[in-house]
Amino acid sequence: MTARYLGQTVRPINWQDRTSGSARYTADLPVADVLIVKVLRSPHPLAAIQSIDTTRAAAMPGVHAVITAADFPAGARYQHEGARDRPPLADGMVRFVGQEIAAVAADTAAQAEAAARAIVVRFRRRRAPLTIATALGAGSTSLHDRGNGRPNVSKVLSRRWGNADAGGDAGHVSVAGRFVFSRQTHASMEPNSVVAHWDEDDQRLHLWVSTQAPIFVRDEVAQLLGLELGQVVCHEVFVGGGFGSKSRISEHEAIAGALARKARRPVRLVLDRNEEFETTKSRHPFHMDMALHADQAGQLCLVEGRIQVENGAYDHSGFSVTSAGLKGLGLIYRPGGIKLDAELVDTATLPGGQFRGYGTTQVTFALECLMDELAERLGRGPVELRIQNANRNGETTLIGARQHSAKLRECLALAKQQIGWESLHRNRPEGHGVGIASGVHLSGSYAERDDANRSDAAIDILPDSRIRVRFGGADAGTGQRTLLAQIAADELGVAIEDVDIVTMDTDATPFDLGAWSSRGTHYSGHAVRLAAEAAHEKLTAIAAGVLANGSVSFADGKAWAGDRSIPIGDLAALSNEAVDGVLTVEASFVETQVARPDPKTGLGNMSPSYNFAAHATHVAVDISTGRIRIVDYVAVHDAGTPLNPTALHGQIVGGAVMGIGAALGEDMIFEQGKLVNSGYMYYALPRAADVPTIRSFVVDCHDPVGPYGAKGVGELGINPPPAAIANAVYDAIGVRIRDLPLTPDKILTALAQREGRKRRFALWRRPDRWWIALVRWAYPRGLFRWLHAWRTHRPSRVAPPELEELASPRSLDEAVSLVGGDALPIGGGTDLLPRRSQGLVRANRLVSLIDIPELKHIGVEPDGTLVIGGAVTLSTLTVSPVAPSLLVEAAQTIASVQVRNVATLAGNLAQANRCWFYRNGFECFQRVGPTAPCYAILGDHRFYHAAIDGHRCQSVTPSDMATALVALDADLVLRDGNGSRVVPLRSFYVGPGETILKPDDIVVAVRISAAARRRCGAFEKLNLWQGDFAIGSAAITAIIDDDGRWHDIRIVCGAIAPVPWRAIKTEQALNGRRVTAPMLRQALDAEFNAAAHPLENNAWKLDALAGLCERAANRLVEIRGNI
Amino acid sequence: MTSRARRIVVNGTAHDVDGPPGLSLLHMLRDQLGLTGTKEACGRGECGACTVLIGGVPQLSCLTLCARVQQPVTTIEGLTDECLDICQAFADHGGFQCGFCTSGQIVHAAAILRDGLPADRTEAERVLRHKLSGNICRCTGYAGIIAALLDVAAKRTAPERDPVSEAIP
Repeated sequence: MTARYLGQTVRPINWQDRTSGSARYTADLPVADVLIVKVLRSPHPLAAIQSIDTTRAAAMPGVHAVITAADFPAGARYQHEGARDRPPLADGMVRFVGQEIAAVAADTAAQAEAAARAIVVRFRRRRAPLTIATALGAGSTSLHDRGNGRPNVSKVLSRRWGNADAGGDAGHVSVAGRFVFSRQTHASMEPNSVVAHWDEDDQRLHLWVSTQAPIFVRDEVAQLLGLELGQVVCHEVFVGGGFGSKSRISEHEAIAGALARKARRPVRLVLDRNEEFETTKSRHPFHMDMALHADQAGQLCLVEGRIQVENGAYDHSGFSVTSAGLKGLGLIYRPGGIKLDAELVDTATLPGGQFRGYGTTQVTFALECLMDELAERLGRGPVELRIQNANRNGETTLIGARQHSAKLRECLALAKQQIGWESLHRNRPEGHGVGIASGVHLSGSYAERDDANRSDAAIDILPDSRIRVRFGGADAGTGQRTLLAQIAADELGVAIEDVDIVTMDTDATPFDLGAWSSRGTHYSGHAVRLAAEAAHEKLTAIAAGVLANGSVSFADGKAWAGDRSIPIGDLAALSNEAVDGVLTVEASFVETQVARPDPKTGLGNMSPSYNFAAHATHVAVDISTGRIRIVDYVAVHDAGTPLNPTALHGQIVGGAVMGIGAALGEDMIFEQGKLVNSGYMYYALPRAADVPTIRSFVVDCHDPVGPYGAKGVGELGINPPPAAIANAVYDAIGVRIRDLPLTPDKILTALAQREGRKRRFALWRRPDRWWIALVRWAYPRGLFRWLHAWRTHRPSRVAPPELEELASPRSLDEAVSLVGGDALPIGGGTDLLPRRSQGLVRANRLVSLIDIPELKHIGVEPDGTLVIGGAVTLSTLTVSPVAPSLLVEAAQTIASVQVRNVATLAGNLAQANRCWFYRNGFECFQRVGPTAPCYAILGDHRFYHAAIDGHRCQSVTPSDMATALVALDADLVLRDGNGSRVVPLRSFYVGPGETILKPDDIVVAVRISAAARRRCGAFEKLNLWQGDFAIGSAAITAIIDDDGRWHDIRIVCGAIAPVPWRAIKTEQALNGRRVTAPMLRQALDAEFNAAAHPLENNAWKLDALAGLCERAANRLVEIRGNI
Repeated sequence: MTSRARRIVVNGTAHDVDGPPGLSLLHMLRDQLGLTGTKEACGRGECGACTVLIGGVPQLSCLTLCARVQQPVTTIEGLTDECLDICQAFADHGGFQCGFCTSGQIVHAAAILRDGLPADRTEAERVLRHKLSGNICRCTGYAGIIAALLDVAAKRTAPERDPVSEAIP
């Protein structure tokens, strides 16, 4: 074989399709007469279903079929790992918010949605165990009968490998800690989607599914619907990301299949983003009590741990994730013994599922943090200690894993060198630190089923000399198709352009279990290699006869002997095995080097090869705000021989950034069992500006059992980042954080604790806060539970109204005459339109203000007053030469370019609050009125709620422009039918996102006086991702005279109180002085302490705000110096 | 509910579009014109997958009401020629994996590169990352996207080579 493509940079074979928009994903398939499916889901975390009435829904216009559990065979359950505990539609009980109860197929999405809402379900709610602690607590409701006598313990698993009694000996050094890896969701860009079509003629169900593993979908759908395997067929389609979530069946496939059969029409089910977040089975949270014991020389004696894994409401892959996690602790290093006990705990929450890293991600965080702690205790370098203990070539680890090519030590050394460890340690700025972590993963686990060590492939040689590779897996974005084309092209001497790859089609493609456990490269690589080699052999034999002289070689799609040649298509046709001129060669690859681990001991070489990595990072921790910035990041992998370098580094870098997300912000937050941060806007996954370019390297390595020396690499990149970053943060500021993600609240809280700082708010001296304090006191003592139970007794399921009219007036007078009543003004619509679809705005008539010239004007009046029209977009503002720099700075932090291109200044000022309870479907006070609770009081309020002046609603005014403009003493010009009036912006707000605007008011313009414009200004903001709403923001303006004294000071704090909050006492205290940051801090802290009334977990925001103000003050001095 | 026809130019072709006032540009493009290159990933303005150019300005088609569209619309399908170098660079640098966000990335990038990037590569990367932060990619970690666009920006601004002087060593 001549390696023309393998090892080379090769463009993905379908790059034109994927970059031109012509690649068809499931939602893009043109399907005639297709019906749209909507699913009715549980609003309760745990309830018995007393009755379901679909009569009204079934009779609604456009509805073709409604299904419930009764439409499946009795007792239908997902197989998964054998627990058989989850029905395709709830039958009798719902066990988490979002569980599927019924589904509707109708002509349009609106009809399906309306019908789903019209289904009447009577529930009897039960006390739901929502956390591990409550699930295991006395008197907890048991979710399932697991037959082990332990309520809510699905499985227990104990492992003892090597000398598990070692450790704790005299002279040993031990480190221990409790680590928490929280819930991460895949958030694939393509939502889960399926098209299902029941063919009456052949009595088969045809599926087009966004999946990584068609065979699992086929098998599960068949058994759930009571069909033969051959009656379900999956077809090929483009798949928009999976990261493990699509490596087993999801839940939409069987629902769509049942509806297609019942309706006798094709159906399409595409989850919306909210459903995607709420119901995609997430990463399992791990709570880990871990310890490491080593001798004085640094040799690890014992790895010890007690691990609780949160299973969620159903068994999907919880047991194998737990098992994989435990094994992961026995793969990186060579301890004397390993002693682990784990339990898998059922909770009435979103079930966990498969996620890149599969349990090893979670344990790596704990292990690799402890390795740093151990190094520190021993006075050793963290890299050296790891190298000393790293697995080596040729060894078999304690858990039976055979290391053919372990290059972890080389990875560690290169990572250390590339990050510049030594020079950073010699000379690094304050708050900067460097950290490292190792990782390991498999190249396909021999697990789940006896045939998981097998993969088949077929090669067709077509009459036109093109090659068709048929392969049963699915390429969700890993580049597997291209890799298989590279192999076939090289083996058969054809151009890669002449290779077609067919995947996913359960009729046309041979056996393969799909893309999971990083098995694609090893298993499919070998299978296609074998098929190609067999084809090569057959063609050679025929060619030897035809060309009749010398040895035969293949190039350019031809067989060559000397200077004679014949196209391989012609050769194939000569074969007596050819059918219609097509020669087909099938091969089955069975990996004999692996063994299924012994179920009792867990021992066994479950993977053909093991890939290693060391990641090193340089971080900067801003101790004034708690924000962590990744300055540099190096990922070094031992991935065997690279077969497609671009794809290889793509997997490494993509995995690393996903791991950085888990380290710094990604966390699914629940309240009363319902997801709080449902949606990209509330889920802090990295955006482009949040990460640097990850520098990715591979060390020289050839794996003797991998195809062409390669190993799997799809998952490992995600494992090291959380520990590497936590270690770097410790290096930077001496704070060890053991629960992910490392958000600013944890940093600042830890710093305050270490320094012994505690704010005292003296509420006893503030009678105006007594009532609020009393209500907050009563909340956990029954008040909240009562209000919540009352509100969720009958959850409102009112459809958002259809928009009936959109007026586009060309003059202000006309607009004024149109607004009012149920007609709302609309600017860019970036807030109003999502709020309408969330049911938060009932108006069905809108008046567009973007075509009115006088609202789009920016100008300076003769007296120097700056006038900015209400419909000026934020983008226009950022490029305006007359806009104050403070305003431009603030605008550039808001949302995204696309949003700023249409979002207007008035719309930004008047936007409703962004409380994640209010926005994400909680029946809260702000949404439904006084009999409803505020979920923020006991829920997660660390980031986006008020620490000052919180009242009935704990939210804040989210507008950054408001914070900046209050610091500029801006006025608003409002207009109604009676004429114009001017109001100061600071009296515009009356509550969180609540203003004095009447329904018939239009914000005409913002006015900034000449005096205010002469002041220097600076804006600072803390958030979790680029474009996020403020956790806190600070705008400061002042005149700084030639002596450096400050006058006319405005200090405005955003997102800390219901309305933009001016620190008036601080302003007064600093007036006329040469302001320094410590001086500002002292005055501000005193004022905060006298005014604040934080919730239980958001007092840290006061520290962050003080820090932001310090930063703004420092910048103000800089700006003044530059004038 | 009133249904009103209006004329919208998409990729240079005028279409008479009929639909309710609440019809989004995204659904019109996908469902009525069959232009499925523009993707719906969140439907509420949070991810950038549905980015199109309206009058040359990148906007989110999921949050755009058809009834308010006045300028010509350009989708990924209308940028095939202009963006060929971007598409190739994405393929060469690993700028996509699953490809679902790619249309939005490329459409937005087309507008960014029309405006140009700073000559200094570090500064160009900073600007690019800031501007592209409204386009979420869950696969690539952004490195391939950024590398591809920096490469294209550099090539597009490179002075035309003189074939004669190049031929002479």
